[in-house]
Amino acid sequence: MPISRRQVLAGSAVSAAALVQGFPAPAIAQNEPIKVGYLPALTGPSSSTGVGINRGVQLGVEVINSAGGINGRKIELISRDTQSDPTKAVNAVAELTQRQKVSMIFGPVNSGEALAATPLIARDKVPMLHPCWVDELIDVKKYPMAYRIAPTNTQVGGGANYYVVDVLKLKKVAVISDTTGYGTASVNTYVPMLKAKGAEVVYTNHIDAANPDLKPELLRMQAAGAQAIMPWSVNAGFLSRICNTRGAMGWDVPIVGQTTLGSGQTKALLEKPEYWNKVYSNNFRQVCYANGKLPPRAQEFVERLKKSKIEMGDTLLWWIALGWDSAQMMANVFKGAGTKNDDIVAYMNKIKAWPGVYGTVTWTPEQHNGFPDSEVVMCEVNSLKDGAFNLAPGYSA
Amino acid sequence: MTDATSPISASKAPAGLLGRLEGSWSWIALGLAGLLLPLLDDSYFGVIAQRAYIYWILGAGLNLVVGYAGQIAIGWVAMLTLGAYTTAALAAGRVGGVEWHPYLALIASGVMGAVFGVIVGLPALRLRTFYFAMTTLGFATIVTQVALAWKDVTGGGVGTPGPVFPWPFDPGWGFYYFCFILAALATWITSNIGSSRYGRALVAIRDAEVAAEASGIAKPKLLILIFLLAGGLGGVAGGLFSSLQSYITPDAFTFEMSVLFFIGILIGGRGSILGPLLGTIILTVLPEFAAPLVQWSTFLYAALLLVIVLVIPGGIADLLDYKNRRPLEQHREIVPRPELLSRIFDVKSGPSAITLANIALHFGGVRAIDGLDLEIRSGEVHGLIGPNGSGKTTTLNVISGYYRPNSGQLKLNGAELPINKPYARAAYRIARTFQTPRLVGGASVLENVMIGGTIDGSGTFAESMLSLPRHRRDEKRLNEAAMRALATVGLESLADVRADRLQHSELRFMEIARALMLRPAFLLLDEPAAGLSAEEIRRLGALIKAISREGTGVLLVEHHADLIFDICDRVTVLNLGKTLAAGTPAEIRSHREVVSAYLGA
Amino acid sequence: MFASIVSYGLAVGAVYALIGITYNVMFSASRVFSFTAGMLGMLGGVLGALFINGLGMNAVLAFVLVMVAGAVLGLVTEILTVRPVLKSIEQHLYVLSTLAFALMIQQVTAIEYNTEPQPFPVLFPIDPNSWLGIVDQKFWLPVLACIVTVLGLEFLYRCTLIGRAFLAIAEDSYAARALGLPETRLRMASYAIAGVIGALAGFTGAQMLLAFIGNQAILNFYGFVPVALGGMGSNRGAVIGGLALGLFQQAANFLVGGIFASVAVFAVFIIVLLLRPEGLAGAAAARRV
Repeated sequence: MPISRRQVLAGSAVSAAALVQGFPAPAIAQNEPIKVGYLPALTGPSSSTGVGINRGVQLGVEVINSAGGINGRKIELISRDTQSDPTKAVNAVAELTQRQKVSMIFGPVNSGEALAATPLIARDKVPMLHPCWVDELIDVKKYPMAYRIAPTNTQVGGGANYYVVDVLKLKKVAVISDTTGYGTASVNTYVPMLKAKGAEVVYTNHIDAANPDLKPELLRMQAAGAQAIMPWSVNAGFLSRICNTRGAMGWDVPIVGQTTLGSGQTKALLEKPEYWNKVYSNNFRQVCYANGKLPPRAQEFVERLKKSKIEMGDTLLWWIALGWDSAQMMANVFKGAGTKNDDIVAYMNKIKAWPGVYGTVTWTPEQHNGFPDSEVVMCEVNSLKDGAFNLAPGYSA
Repeated sequence: MTDATSPISASKAPAGLLGRLEGSWSWIALGLAGLLLPLLDDSYFGVIAQRAYIYWILGAGLNLVVGYAGQIAIGWVAMLTLGAYTTAALAAGRVGGVEWHPYLALIASGVMGAVFGVIVGLPALRLRTFYFAMTTLGFATIVTQVALAWKDVTGGGVGTPGPVFPWPFDPGWGFYYFCFILAALATWITSNIGSSRYGRALVAIRDAEVAAEASGIAKPKLLILIFLLAGGLGGVAGGLFSSLQSYITPDAFTFEMSVLFFIGILIGGRGSILGPLLGTIILTVLPEFAAPLVQWSTFLYAALLLVIVLVIPGGIADLLDYKNRRPLEQHREIVPRPELLSRIFDVKSGPSAITLANIALHFGGVRAIDGLDLEIRSGEVHGLIGPNGSGKTTTLNVISGYYRPNSGQLKLNGAELPINKPYARAAYRIARTFQTPRLVGGASVLENVMIGGTIDGSGTFAESMLSLPRHRRDEKRLNEAAMRALATVGLESLADVRADRLQHSELRFMEIARALMLRPAFLLLDEPAAGLSAEEIRRLGALIKAISREGTGVLLVEHHADLIFDICDRVTVLNLGKTLAAGTPAEIRSHREVVSAYLGA
Repeated sequence: MFASIVSYGLAVGAVYALIGITYNVMFSASRVFSFTAGMLGMLGGVLGALFINGLGMNAVLAFVLVMVAGAVLGLVTEILTVRPVLKSIEQHLYVLSTLAFALMIQQVTAIEYNTEPQPFPVLFPIDPNSWLGIVDQKFWLPVLACIVTVLGLEFLYRCTLIGRAFLAIAEDSYAARALGLPETRLRMASYAIAGVIGALAGFTGAQMLLAFIGNQAILNFYGFVPVALGGMGSNRGAVIGGLALGLFQQAANFLVGGIFASVAVFAVFIIVLLLRPEGLAGAAAARRV
């Protein structure tokens, strides 16, 4: 009975700590909930992703707990809204790791918070599951207990680059971003990748997202002979202005880039619906329509969402799916490895082709990025239906 | 000698050991709480406390800028940004390829902050308040944009990892004590400054700039020192912040954070150290316990700011200041003791004179002074009378250097006095009072008077900062001199009272005490008898007369003809900026035009 | 490209100029610079988008309502944040009270409306690809608003009795009060007018700047630059300064990119103010001792 022995040990550790603090030791029962730290950004300037993921996480935990939890133990989600503010994230990490003594942490979603939180969580030796794409967050040496259940920025950019260069066969590309951490990092990573693929990057710039007039930028791209625009930003206002300006100029080049290109917020800011034509955003093969149909796992998930009356119209399917998958993955890990961090790491290092709704996850002791390249695709943004899109033209189904 | 000092020491007696404990129990409690917090062994509290200490290190410096000097530096978060990036970039070897030791990098952050503190502060030396608020805001925006654009050093939007300080201040409670010690140090330094003549001068600049200048306080020099210190502290706070955050990106330095620092100080109360410290702690800790309200936090801060400004401008410090809520004695009487003057004027100087020759001053088309000749001799009381708008106060302002005359000469003992430098007059021992008393309402009467002796301090800013012997000697001397001056004008029993609780007549005598701090060779009095009772005017007259008998040349601008003719040695009558008549009181009294026009015989 | 610099630069410059005038109208009445100027501009756009897009109102009705809202906010600013601190104006507490009020309104907008930029409806559709594209609504509307405002204010100040009373207050409020002018009521009227002008700037500029809470800080700063450079209280200075700023920014956008432009504007702002604190066109005011 290795599991119960571990729990007894954990229990005595807790009671020893409690004695030091001068509190009466609580009885540790078999059905003590498993604490999971959760750092979403539910308010603040870039919170729409967090809100979408949150729906999946909450549903996932609810379903697991109502089915009896993990070996009789419920999952207790301890959620701290970081408000898209790195200082709040740092405070929350201290609370989750030191005071709540959570078994695992999921999040943060936004790059600034994730970059600040990860070293601190690693210092406290708490396993973590990343939904964030920033490459630097996964480093087996520096952060041996951090795993990513999503693609990296490199993979995401690679998907877009592949589409522009290998599918659309365009060679002259303009790559731009806003001035945020995410945007600048993306451009810095993708430009060399494009060049390595033999494309010519004719224009690149970081633009203040608040700049209301992007015509100068687009004119310069046009003058440089760009055949495709690749914008990297999560700012819907900025992306919609690129679409609007391109439309107003009557310039017929494809826009290929970040998933927010396809968000409802971007759509709301378009001056004309047709300005959304020839816009392709990142998406993920498992949650895209191919020939009008979702893959079976996603189809089943959508039906579950509909049954649970989860709103999908104002968010994206892959966000909800990512949240759901993360909850399922953590439940899977606790079931297989218990709640001790070394056991969790050993178990997660061996996860192979885990079938999520959002993606198929594989980790090894050397590679904690778990998302397969082949599942990063582009989609047609103007095909949005129930939070999902058609695969962009040129992909085989 | 003993008879003169006895009332002074008697009045200070209640402020003995008990009084000192009364003032410092809150500091002892705060210090103990900080020292003992690690016993809780709760790192979450630890992180929140470290954050509060770091914010306060910046806040302590900003407090001197905002709370003391009254400069509305809204964008001071820029110093935190600068400091954080300096420490992080240097420690990571992003500059010049050499990885700096984290402690050295932290020192570099302090230097960086100090340099930019002065650069940002420069506009405050010349610009009006709102302009300065705007420039600091603009600077904060620019710093963030540069951090985004200068990728090699700052990592751009991706950011850069902050350093981990090695032993003895390694992460955890080691770093906690590092922050605690530095915060305590910042508190100590700034409260030394706050209670020094520099601190009093800052508050004087804030509340009574004109009086500050008349006391010889040069605003630019003082402000540069303060911006240097506040910037340095901000830079150090930034360096610590980069380590606490473990990773810094430009989006960590928000405008909300800047507002938070700012509001923390105002909630605490301007011109206090303890109040802003508590304000900063409250604003750092509160959001952690008010989770449902997080979304509204900025709104609540702003609402709090509005309430503070409109309802309790004194902030927490005012609420804690129970001493000044004790009622004052009613029906107080001011009894000056001119016999004590000899102890103020302990060094006699030879006879001298200020001469105005053919001075003219125009405001646009209005000839405020139109060719005026005047001589003020030491040991004499010179009366200056005339109807409203005849140029009396303007003349006084020319002498004390506020106005530059269009023509004519202003000389002291034959040498030209510098023009347009009012703060340079104090060095010539030319003191003055004002038509409406200029006072620092929130400071005690004693402190108000001590402002007058600012130029007699010999310790440097750094000596005051560290409370070195020369600074302590200065303070002791100024304190004694101020008590002497107060005893002379008859206000020593009110020395510890806040100046804004005084009656109007008491303020007039307080201004004279402040002027006496200069041991003035010349004293310019602007309607000192206005608002005084007949008995008070009589006593005032005796005091002025006695001052002149100590060798001081007094220029008395006054409407009370009785006072003028009682005590003046000579009188000049102005009309439309010109001399209508000049001579002894007897001559003026019989001057036909004067009598028919003003004296209404 | 030249056409784009001019049309866009003038349009955004007109918005800056209007915000500058908003500062000036409040300043003339009370010697107070108020942080609510940018807030009024931000709200003009947000409320316009909310009324027309959100509540489906008729554009004319929405316009009138936005102007009324501006006037009401102007009055609230005066009563709540300016009047109580006027008697101790040398302490400059108005900087804090108006900042606090502006921040409160901005936060309410962020929480109750949206933190992301929202579209502002096209009121006068023109095909942007035709030659008329340069005179798209987003370009001519702010310029027209600016012209109407300047002419209106000139008429008010020159040709009406109440306008002369405004001028008298601006010149010397003490003397004006001594003459029996109802200073408080005139000040309230000035703040209401300022509210309308600020909201007008926001409403007419919103198709270009979008309905966005972030506009508050941008307009506060860029609206103040022309006031500082043109001399406080001078509407002519504000208009010239605003248009010049708009053109400069847009030219810099085209030629070198955005970040450089904002650094350059800031540098010019600081340097000019250090050399000539009274502004390029202003006269040094005599010191009051």
